[in-house]
Amino acid sequence: MSSDQDKLIAESVEKALQGDMDAINNIEDRVTRSKAKAALVKAKREAKAAVAEETPRAEKSKAEEAPQAEQTFAAQVAVALEKKFPGSLDTEDVNGHIQMKGEQWYEAAQYLRDNPDFLFDSLQCVTGYDYGTSEDLEVRYNLHSMTHHHAIEIRIKIDRNDSKIPSVEQVWRIGDWFERETYDMYGIEFVGHSNMTRILCPEDWAGWPLRKDYETQEMYHGIVVPKVKDGWE
Amino acid sequence: MGVVHGDLMTLNIGPQHPSTHGVLRLKVKTDGEIISEVEPIIGYLHRCFEKHCENVSYEQVIPYTDRCDYIAAMNNNFGYAVTVEELMEIKVPERVEYIRVIVAELNRIASHLLALGAYGLDVGAFTPFLYMFRDRERILDLFETLCGARLLYNYIWVGGVSHDFPKGFVESVYSFLDYFEPKIEEYNELLTYNKIFIERTGDVGVMPPEVAVSYGVTGPNLRGSGVKWDIRKDEPYSIYEKFDFDIPVGVGEMGTVGDCWDRYYVRMVEMKESIKITRQALKGIPTGDVHQALPKKIRPPQGSIYKRTESPRGDLAYYIVSDGSPIPYRLKMRSPAFTALSVLGEISQGWMMSDVLAILGSLDIVLGEIDR
Repeated sequence: MSSDQDKLIAESVEKALQGDMDAINNIEDRVTRSKAKAALVKAKREAKAAVAEETPRAEKSKAEEAPQAEQTFAAQVAVALEKKFPGSLDTEDVNGHIQMKGEQWYEAAQYLRDNPDFLFDSLQCVTGYDYGTSEDLEVRYNLHSMTHHHAIEIRIKIDRNDSKIPSVEQVWRIGDWFERETYDMYGIEFVGHSNMTRILCPEDWAGWPLRKDYETQEMYHGIVVPKVKDGWE
Repeated sequence: MGVVHGDLMTLNIGPQHPSTHGVLRLKVKTDGEIISEVEPIIGYLHRCFEKHCENVSYEQVIPYTDRCDYIAAMNNNFGYAVTVEELMEIKVPERVEYIRVIVAELNRIASHLLALGAYGLDVGAFTPFLYMFRDRERILDLFETLCGARLLYNYIWVGGVSHDFPKGFVESVYSFLDYFEPKIEEYNELLTYNKIFIERTGDVGVMPPEVAVSYGVTGPNLRGSGVKWDIRKDEPYSIYEKFDFDIPVGVGEMGTVGDCWDRYYVRMVEMKESIKITRQALKGIPTGDVHQALPKKIRPPQGSIYKRTESPRGDLAYYIVSDGSPIPYRLKMRSPAFTALSVLGEISQGWMMSDVLAILGSLDIVLGEIDR
């Protein structure tokens, strides 16, 4: 490749970046022209990447500012919980959600529902969560107040081999079905629940399907369960 | 005179039964004709939705959401797309937002038409069912011209929609709305103010607001109990804050607040509100490219999100945890029909056997969404 050609390409790309595509289109040699176009695409991509690198930083600072209001509310709830039930929080850090310990959860739930400042009268969702094959399990509660229109997320970690947590069925009635579903999928036992049985899977199903170390049973009622190929699409 | 001891009789309704709206079994304990306990037994349609989601990429989840609530698939797509977009901080073009609102509201009308028609069928009115299905059919035809599918659309994608409106679509939606609006009065004459219908539903299966809230009941069922709560108004997503519409609530016109008739009538009025929203959206729809914001690869950053949207049945929420890979680490769907069915045992105690099916029908459940 001659240095003349390189120079021509560099010049035309520069012109094209400023909006003059003719500089490239007017190159007579086909090979040079396509090389110039390739160089242009590369230059454009680099420019875009440079812009993209700058924007996330700007967005990030925005994102840090935005949850401030929410954070302060979550922090308020955390402070109130710590004051009422000393030692009930797992960590002091409040990052949009409150990390609690399981022991006083039932009393704390009642407090959150009845305290006039919070009035979390609606349990929106109970989500089971598995951190990995030999890590802890977690239960995440999304609470919402119909009166104050605010919401909070509470997370409680539990030991994988002794997965027990107080039931809040008597605090929010929907806890009944949500907890049965979580038990069904993760094998988390809700102590104090009136009917801790499977809800979606059949009663005789073996294993906890949504745990990360779940293995499909080989036989079910005398029928061989077909093996799913790895990486099917 | 001796005392007559009566034992409770256990009776199974379903799993295969025309009035259970899907595959649902009700274990009913009755004292003669009076219900003393109802236990819904679910799981017959469990298709491992959440387990599937942990094995497929984010875009492959969308067809599965269709199959959860197959009566209002657009709204399920919508909720999922909005959730992932918020996690990825994607801003979708204005035209896409308008298109989404239009199809979601049309689907809400179609879903309510099915709910109301089938409800009439449950309590013995056959004709309104045919009338409502006739009109629902026109909405399905519109969707068919839009994306080729009648029930399971896979239409709303993360960052956009699959197709732009075809030529003449806006006009056909207008002509449908013009045709449909006066029909609501016809339904009211046929069914809503029918004496027999009122006798069957008014004052039956009353759900007090505190019971509804404690059971997590949402959507038209909650509003039927007089609680003014609608995600579209109270926690607006997409562009719902731009539109002017009312939230109908039950007032106990035919008996007590929160009876079956109230839940039924809230849906009827909601269709009018949906027409209002659709008209405003059709008027303001801008031009633009619907595929412009589609991400090449959906790889949300690490983090979790809980986002609620208003489906025809209530608060439909997705809880998504991302570990930065193209496959969701955990995806939980909070289905509104699941919570609505859980309240059945509480509100049907003390009613007659025939009322249980009237109460069940008024809750408008979709088993596909309950069992997932």
